[in-house]
Amino acid sequence: MVKKYDRLLLAGCDTCVAECAAGGRKEVAELAAALQMAFRVAGQEKNITEATVDRQCVHEFLLDVVESAQDRDAVLSLACGAGVQALATRLPETPVFPALNTLFIGETAERGLWLENCRGCGNCMLGLTGGICPVSRCAKNLLNGPCGGARNGLCEINLAKEIIPEVPCAWLQIYDRLLALGEVDRLMEIAPPKDWSYGDASGPRRVVRPDQQA
Amino acid sequence: MSQKITVVLLACRQAVPDPALLAIPLEQGGLKARVIPEPCSSKVEVFQMLRTLAGEADLLWVVGCPEAACQLVEGSFRMAKRVAHAQDYLGEIGLEPQRLGMAQIPADSREALTAMVGDILERARSLGANPGRTPR
Repeated sequence: MVKKYDRLLLAGCDTCVAECAAGGRKEVAELAAALQMAFRVAGQEKNITEATVDRQCVHEFLLDVVESAQDRDAVLSLACGAGVQALATRLPETPVFPALNTLFIGETAERGLWLENCRGCGNCMLGLTGGICPVSRCAKNLLNGPCGGARNGLCEINLAKEIIPEVPCAWLQIYDRLLALGEVDRLMEIAPPKDWSYGDASGPRRVVRPDQQA
Repeated sequence: MSQKITVVLLACRQAVPDPALLAIPLEQGGLKARVIPEPCSSKVEVFQMLRTLAGEADLLWVVGCPEAACQLVEGSFRMAKRVAHAQDYLGEIGLEPQRLGMAQIPADSREALTAMVGDILERARSLGANPGRTPR
């Protein structure tokens, strides 16, 4: 996608994607060097520059990278999809390409391991489930669980393919957590069908806060 | 006019207290050598490896201690993982991953250093100039 452009800017974001070791300052430097070498191997010499801001999704933070893009033919953004779009909005005459595939809202569980823990459903159940989300962490997204497939504390998806570390049954985790809290009686209440209209089923979502507006 | 092959070594100070012991035999072998002392091989980041290969090096070697002897406990272990990651990058972009090497050397071991120098000279002969580095 970018090979036809001679002057490229690689734009990083030093917050979430830096924590994920995917799009921060270091990863921008890695990709810049790797691209430079890849183009040379293909017989092309490119002018590649780098710029990283703290938050590519916030317009006020974008000024440095917008300025760095002024003499560039194209920008390759290592931000999440929100950052790529925020940058593209500020650069109407410069093509902006994504360098990453944004996957999920996750937690850094350990060094080199990120887990999807939130699906942004817009109607949070964590208060009912001991701080463990069944929407994102149960493979079947069950609102009342567990299902019959759990074995030795593990989700049955471990039987279908090797997953390291193995995926625990979220509903058994919820049970253990509520037991420890002395609130296991919460599970006696059947969760009603969820209103998914707060989630991505409703089309493009937005949050409006008049108190924050100018 | 032919140019000398350039090798850059990022070397842990514990493993290689005297950088000249590396640079001299490599240069006697016909290479241009630069040894950069590091506090620990684990301090070498992937972007440094790639930048060095893109900028000046035909070959790059990261030198640390044996894993059990690393003063930072996990330093050599982490270095090996980063080198493997950077080698994957090189393969993906069409460069020989063997341009990036690593060695784990017992502190100041002449024998191990000599063996590593032999490996580097052999690798330089077989791979030649790096087509991905800055044009000379």
